[in-house]
Amino acid sequence: MIHTIAFYIFAAMVIASGALVITARNPVHSVLWLILAFFNAAGLMVLVGAEFIAMLLVIVYVGAVAVLFLFVVMMLEIDFAEMRAGFVKYFPLGVLLALILVSEMILGIGAYSAGSMHLGTADGVGTPLMGESNIRSIGALLYGRYLFLFESAGLVLLVAMVGAIVLTHRERGTVRGHQNINKQVRRRPGDATVNTRPEVGKGIEL
Amino acid sequence: MTAFFESLGMNYEWAWFVATICGILLIALPLMLAVAMIIYVDRKIWAAMALRRGPNVVGPFGLLQSFADGLKVFLQETIIPSAANKGLFLIAPIITFTVALMAWAVMPFAEGAVLADINVGLLYILAISSLGVYGVVISGWASNSKYPFFSALRAAAQMISYEVSIGFILICVILWAGTNNLSDIVMAQKGAGLGIVNGFFFNILLFPMWVLFLISGMAETARAPFDLTEAESELVAGYQTEYSSMAFALFWLGEYANVLLMCALNTTLFFGGWLPPLDIGILYVVPGFIWWLLKTFFFFFVFSWVKATVPRFRYDQLMRLGWKIFLPMSLLFVVLVSGYLMLTRYG
Amino acid sequence: MVDLTQYLPILIFLVIALGLSGLFVFLPMGVSRLTGAHKPSKDKLAEYECGFPAFEDSRHQFDVRFYLVAILFIIFDLEAAFLFPWAVSLDLTGWAGWITMMVFLGELLIGFAYAWKKGALEWE
Repeated sequence: MIHTIAFYIFAAMVIASGALVITARNPVHSVLWLILAFFNAAGLMVLVGAEFIAMLLVIVYVGAVAVLFLFVVMMLEIDFAEMRAGFVKYFPLGVLLALILVSEMILGIGAYSAGSMHLGTADGVGTPLMGESNIRSIGALLYGRYLFLFESAGLVLLVAMVGAIVLTHRERGTVRGHQNINKQVRRRPGDATVNTRPEVGKGIEL
Repeated sequence: MTAFFESLGMNYEWAWFVATICGILLIALPLMLAVAMIIYVDRKIWAAMALRRGPNVVGPFGLLQSFADGLKVFLQETIIPSAANKGLFLIAPIITFTVALMAWAVMPFAEGAVLADINVGLLYILAISSLGVYGVVISGWASNSKYPFFSALRAAAQMISYEVSIGFILICVILWAGTNNLSDIVMAQKGAGLGIVNGFFFNILLFPMWVLFLISGMAETARAPFDLTEAESELVAGYQTEYSSMAFALFWLGEYANVLLMCALNTTLFFGGWLPPLDIGILYVVPGFIWWLLKTFFFFFVFSWVKATVPRFRYDQLMRLGWKIFLPMSLLFVVLVSGYLMLTRYG
Repeated sequence: MVDLTQYLPILIFLVIALGLSGLFVFLPMGVSRLTGAHKPSKDKLAEYECGFPAFEDSRHQFDVRFYLVAILFIIFDLEAAFLFPWAVSLDLTGWAGWITMMVFLGELLIGFAYAWKKGALEWE
């Protein structure tokens, strides 16, 4: 029973915070609602038994991606009038995208309920290893059967990293002399100071 | 504990529920008490290292100092700056404190004494600690003031930089223990060093990881020498500048709860958790919780010691250490540890 | 299998922790109104800027390097996410799994070396 209640609470929260993401006036609030949506989605993942995916959702989306989003919207000079104008301009495109998504969902659900596809069932491809935690099952499949897909994911990450650097990194004209920590640590008092005892009334030569 | 409440004549569901609530309160309330006491201990340790007396007026040996401070901030006025984003301004300390408490849900205090014994315990801790950044960023942004904003940016970049290497260090531990469950990680350390030392630190491949973890833990919790987020000479009081009353105290409490969590993680992941230091029968007479407490307190002493003696890092040094030294080193050790295990255990 | 009864305490804990910290924030606000400590004034509510009136809006653009750190963090975080299941299933995947991961780490290492070479990790 608790399972059902929890499902409805999480699901309602996901939808509600999803709606608030697009209706919130302040972009920073939008990102925070998005984070709440991710959280509740993680709760739903736990409910279906995908605990590893749930934790990943929090670590990657909430802990990393949303931080970047927050940086981006915090940096924006928020101009509401301009945003409204943009809204009107992009409204037809948004409606079009929404229609495409809805039709895809209808197609997908229709095809699934027609029963012509086997989405990870029966033939044992997608079933978890018996008696293993799902993190081990994922490991066994990802690094065994789906090894090449995994490698291509690595390539995508590489491209993403190089792309991010190319797009955002600028050479700074005024690079100050970088410190050489090794040199600093190796420096001893004797390198910089001398201890002398000059006679009274006489200076020292430096 | 469920069995105890069942014996009082409740049915199983209610007994379980009451037992869980008791368990939660048994973690949350002593934790808050421990934080109050640890602030006192911290101040005493710095004082001793600076040849001062430290708090010694309120109560015997000044023991009640933290409670006096607590009462004071409780009775203060909560100032919400007029330029601030009010809702978020008040939510930020709530997030910080909630997150600091939540991580303790999977911490094993003694054999079987863990609130939620989940398979992905270590991932859960990583997930929760990655949320700590929000309390800081939101408070800095919502204050709508310059110092908190700069501090929040610095803090965010610092925390995420060190989280990377913490992730790889945890992977080394998981590789060796072969599990993500914190209780199982503790049990895997039984006799891990030469069959007699309980703990992963006594292992030539994991010892450097422990050193990195200790230092990264200090950076992750923005503890000195990495307390650039509240470098008072540059940023006044960092992201907490505009806060007052309990909202301010919650940041303070949350910060110390996080420091304690890092100490407890050092204990759990590298020093055998609730197990005695040596795998000798007679040492098991002492309850596991006592061993856990002693080890955690020892690490807190180390944190305090470092804070009292090491000068603050500069921001470029901090980022350099995180990205150019810790990250490659922890990656290298992931390769070394897994390679060694493939050759000896799985190959 | 996943034991959901282990997650219920976390949910209850979340509710209790939120309640506790909410109480800590809002209770003193009520108390200070009762004790008369609550006396806001214009200067008290101004943002802190060392005693000066604030010069300009405090939310302005900041260095793009903070972005770059965040992006690099996402990538390395994802890499770590791939490592977690690998670390506990090495006994199931054997040498094939190990070599796969080493190739993956090698790919990421190229990116890391590129970032290093370009000076993306430099701060001054």
